[in-house]
Amino acid sequence: MAKEKKPVTRRDFLRGTLGTTLGASLIGSKFLKAGGMTTGGVASDSSLVTIVRDKGAMDSDNTVNSDVLKAMLDETLTKFTGKPTAKDAWLSLVTPEDTIGLVPTPHLNPTHQEVVDAVKSSLIEAGIPEEKILGAQGGPDKPKACTALIGLPGLKAHWLTGIGTVMKLYILYSGSPRNYHDENSAKLGEIWNYPFVKGKTKLVLVDALHPLCDKGPQPDPRYKWPYNGLIAGTDPVAVETVCLRIIMEKRKAMRGEDWPLSPPPLCVETADKVYGLGTSNWESIKVEHYGWDQDLLLG
Amino acid sequence: MLILVIVVLVLGGFELFEGPKWKQSKTILPQIVGMWTGPDSPQIVTAENIFEYMDGAGELYLGYQFDYLEVYEYRAQNQPEILVELYFMKASDDAFGLLSLDWGGEPVKLNPASRGEHSIDDSQWPQVLYGEGLLRLWSDNVYARVMATRETSESKKAVLTLGRLITEDRKNPSPPNLMDKLPASFEPNWILRRDRVSFFRSHLILNSLYYLGHENMLELDLTSEGVSAPYEKRDSSGDLQRIQVLHLGYADPTRAENALVHFHRVYLAEHPPPEHSDFSLKVVNVFPLEDGWMGYRLKENTLAFVFECPIQETVRTILEQIN
Repeated sequence: MAKEKKPVTRRDFLRGTLGTTLGASLIGSKFLKAGGMTTGGVASDSSLVTIVRDKGAMDSDNTVNSDVLKAMLDETLTKFTGKPTAKDAWLSLVTPEDTIGLVPTPHLNPTHQEVVDAVKSSLIEAGIPEEKILGAQGGPDKPKACTALIGLPGLKAHWLTGIGTVMKLYILYSGSPRNYHDENSAKLGEIWNYPFVKGKTKLVLVDALHPLCDKGPQPDPRYKWPYNGLIAGTDPVAVETVCLRIIMEKRKAMRGEDWPLSPPPLCVETADKVYGLGTSNWESIKVEHYGWDQDLLLG
Repeated sequence: MLILVIVVLVLGGFELFEGPKWKQSKTILPQIVGMWTGPDSPQIVTAENIFEYMDGAGELYLGYQFDYLEVYEYRAQNQPEILVELYFMKASDDAFGLLSLDWGGEPVKLNPASRGEHSIDDSQWPQVLYGEGLLRLWSDNVYARVMATRETSESKKAVLTLGRLITEDRKNPSPPNLMDKLPASFEPNWILRRDRVSFFRSHLILNSLYYLGHENMLELDLTSEGVSAPYEKRDSSGDLQRIQVLHLGYADPTRAENALVHFHRVYLAEHPPPEHSDFSLKVVNVFPLEDGWMGYRLKENTLAFVFECPIQETVRTILEQIN
């Protein structure tokens, strides 16, 4: 007999039963975490998240300074991996034999092309053949052509899913993105466990140069601000949690009071508790920040 | 009788051959606005292709009675681009609703061309809002966004000029009736946050204003309407308290009753819904929930809700005062 799906409501958040309710509603998905072990996402035990910021990353017209950006990227790579150079850092994450897919986000607050270009150039300098670096945002055929993925989402809230940064990154890989909105946004994590995606994400590098803190659905300059940052990690849930914290703190600063995201970002908790992709527990995330520290927005 | 049939057929044929409604649009923005040059005709977006134009954002407009969209892109050398989007809705209430989702920005009055300037709008519900290069407005059945990709003094002038051209010769209807049903205050000292009051029809939009749950438990559709209204007050220690009021109108009493039963099933599963025989009367119920007292009133074709109220009796007081 099919189990009746219990709808998630505001009261599940208030009671703290969201994970239980969502988990029960997702029973049957073959992409759930197995036996309490992480089955997808990235191969890393670390919940380290680095934030590198430089006040000069963009000018007053929000034009990106590519030289500053390159330096930020190099610092991100070395600080996150602990390797002495960007080349060594990349080669600890990928190999020249990999076919590497770069995955920016194109909508609402798109990833700066300068960020994509900087990553590609840096990979080439590390010895990765240019023909082995592909654009990998799009349908399921994209990740299938790759052995490694580097997520490059733009930092933004989203009116249907609460936050639209890391967990939403691979929505097109599902082949049916509209099936992952509304309550089904809680299932975004399952895409990371698809056989042709699982284990391929070597780094999530969030373009936090000019984030969007209100949900859209269309860009509104009043809710964008120059954070001038790059946020990196290999635990996608931890990275998303840090991104969420920054958005929430910015919203609070703008209104002078708590300004919750509505709808709440179901996908973050389920990515942790249902799909086992990483941690959404702030206490389990180590955040290291470098560079410009004004309005860091970590609470 | 045969003559009458022929007349009806002929008139109907004229209507058929008039072409799509968007071709009858009276809005023809000029190609030249200051330093900017635009298209000789707009891009037209309909409900069928709105997702190709704006991906997930399309659901926002389909959550109101969307008719079609006209898009103009203006460009000028050494100046930011200006994007004009004119959302033609089937009713002015829907255009108002879109603007009401965010009352932020500077309210402005777009004065006639002869005066060539704008002034502050201090009316009850602003019709035009401007902030950081983005102009949003409600004008009869049109909701418009006019956005410069970067704000300069020249682009602001052009944006405001475009706004004035959009609103010229348009009717000036009243806001939705439902907006007037909520008091400006309740005793003791609960004050309506007018800058957070919004008009909606869709549960997706309700969830973006006040999340209840992803299921459409209030059975909202394009025949229904709702107002989301927070009230605030300071308690004795100076802390801010907030309650949330929802006031919904349905096409008929049966739909309102069905919505209440559905709401009970999803949100108040531990409490049985009122008996069907009670639905001929006004129904008021109040329950203690995790975040305070919650209550509702079913009256004819309307449903009113109060959420997060600290005092049980206050819920009933509020529900009694909603028109």
